[in-house]
Amino acid sequence: MDAFPFLADLASYWPQIVRGLRDTILLSVTITVTGLIGGIGVFGLALSPNRLVRYVTQSYISLFIGTPLIVFLFLLYYGLPNLGVTLSPFVIAVFGFTFNVSAYNARYLTIAYKELDQAELESARAQGFSLSQVFRLITAPQSLRMSVPALTNQAIQNIKDSSIVFLIQYIEFFAQMQEVASRTFLFFKTYVFTALVYLLLVSVVVLAARRLERKLAIPGLS
Amino acid sequence: MALLEVKNLVKSYTDRTVLDGVSFELEEGEAKVVMGPSGCGKSTLLRCLNRLIEPTSGTILFDGQDVTRPGVDVRELRSRIGFVFQNFALYRHMSVLDNVALALRRLKKLPRKEAEERAVHELHRMEMADKRDAYPAALSGGQSQRVAIARALAMDPKVLFFDEPTSALDPIMVREVVTLINRLYLDNVTILCVTHDLGLAKHISDRVVFLDRGKVYAEDRIEHLLARDADPVIDEFFGGEG
Repeated sequence: MDAFPFLADLASYWPQIVRGLRDTILLSVTITVTGLIGGIGVFGLALSPNRLVRYVTQSYISLFIGTPLIVFLFLLYYGLPNLGVTLSPFVIAVFGFTFNVSAYNARYLTIAYKELDQAELESARAQGFSLSQVFRLITAPQSLRMSVPALTNQAIQNIKDSSIVFLIQYIEFFAQMQEVASRTFLFFKTYVFTALVYLLLVSVVVLAARRLERKLAIPGLS
Repeated sequence: MALLEVKNLVKSYTDRTVLDGVSFELEEGEAKVVMGPSGCGKSTLLRCLNRLIEPTSGTILFDGQDVTRPGVDVRELRSRIGFVFQNFALYRHMSVLDNVALALRRLKKLPRKEAEERAVHELHRMEMADKRDAYPAALSGGQSQRVAIARALAMDPKVLFFDEPTSALDPIMVREVVTLINRLYLDNVTILCVTHDLGLAKHISDRVVFLDRGKVYAEDRIEHLLARDADPVIDEFFGGEG
């Protein structure tokens, strides 16, 4: 720590900082996974042969892309108790983000779907595959692989956006750093450190994402 | 009894009729070519036969079964018909081997090893076994066509449909594919081929069904069609090649 006087000032707060970091990573990983699963599900519904299902799905996507996430988080956090439902901040954060991130991921997958060769899908149906098999075996794998850059950018966005959940009392890294700053009055140092930690987290994800992009690229296409 | 009997097949959309009472038969082991000007309904016809497009009316008897009646297992029907598409339509995210083995594993429910052995066998037959690990993007048009044929043959279909098999190929590859389809014909594979390629038709067909504006204008041996004198529709299509 002596070599880093800047960090030495924060030394007594390490357990709190590490706890916050752990909770940020936990939330980010959770919503990235649930948002991806949800996004694939919504994407599948967006391709439904049923017009009503497609309409409802598109409305869902438009609603969540068109409204600030914080509004939905507040609706769940402050609104649900009016209906007699009280959930923990973590559960609300997971629900709120999952609905939001699923909408974005579904939009990315839908954009990729438009680039697919429709003849491949027709060919799969001509072979005797059902619509759900065509989705599982052809549409989803190709759309996912073509969307890797957008999906990994969303994962990065999730890390950064997770900082807003301090507003619904989920005490993650940013909330812990706010408390550290207000106790130490080292506002500049604390927030520079906070920014550097977020940058480090994001950089790790970016490196992993680039590797994933190379690994999952469809030969001759991506 | 013919393998395929098409009786009075009609396909209409709100603003137009694409197929207007098409009838013809295809015997087992026969190779028949469907020709006609662009927009005459050739590709729609193929897609109606395996119910990728729902016909408006008419009857299709396939292997003795009326496949237009309600409740028919359309997926089972399709699995008995090999379909080779104009632009090959190989699954781009899969290797050549997986392209051929996929339906064997997922539809015929063969274990992976057995499905792959059968896929390799078909790839050998198409002289493409050495490309089993390649991806479609690395293949030439002719090679892609061979894989598409291997994929169709792997399911052991009763008939092979070709939709304009040479239209996406350069002249050298056209010759290669013509030879290949001719070889299938000689191997007694039942073929129904939609094409506007006279060279291909001459090489593979016993008979030609000539469609014009959704109707069967003529059905005859190709040399007889070409020999028709003063038939404006035939003359215009073949451009005096007869």
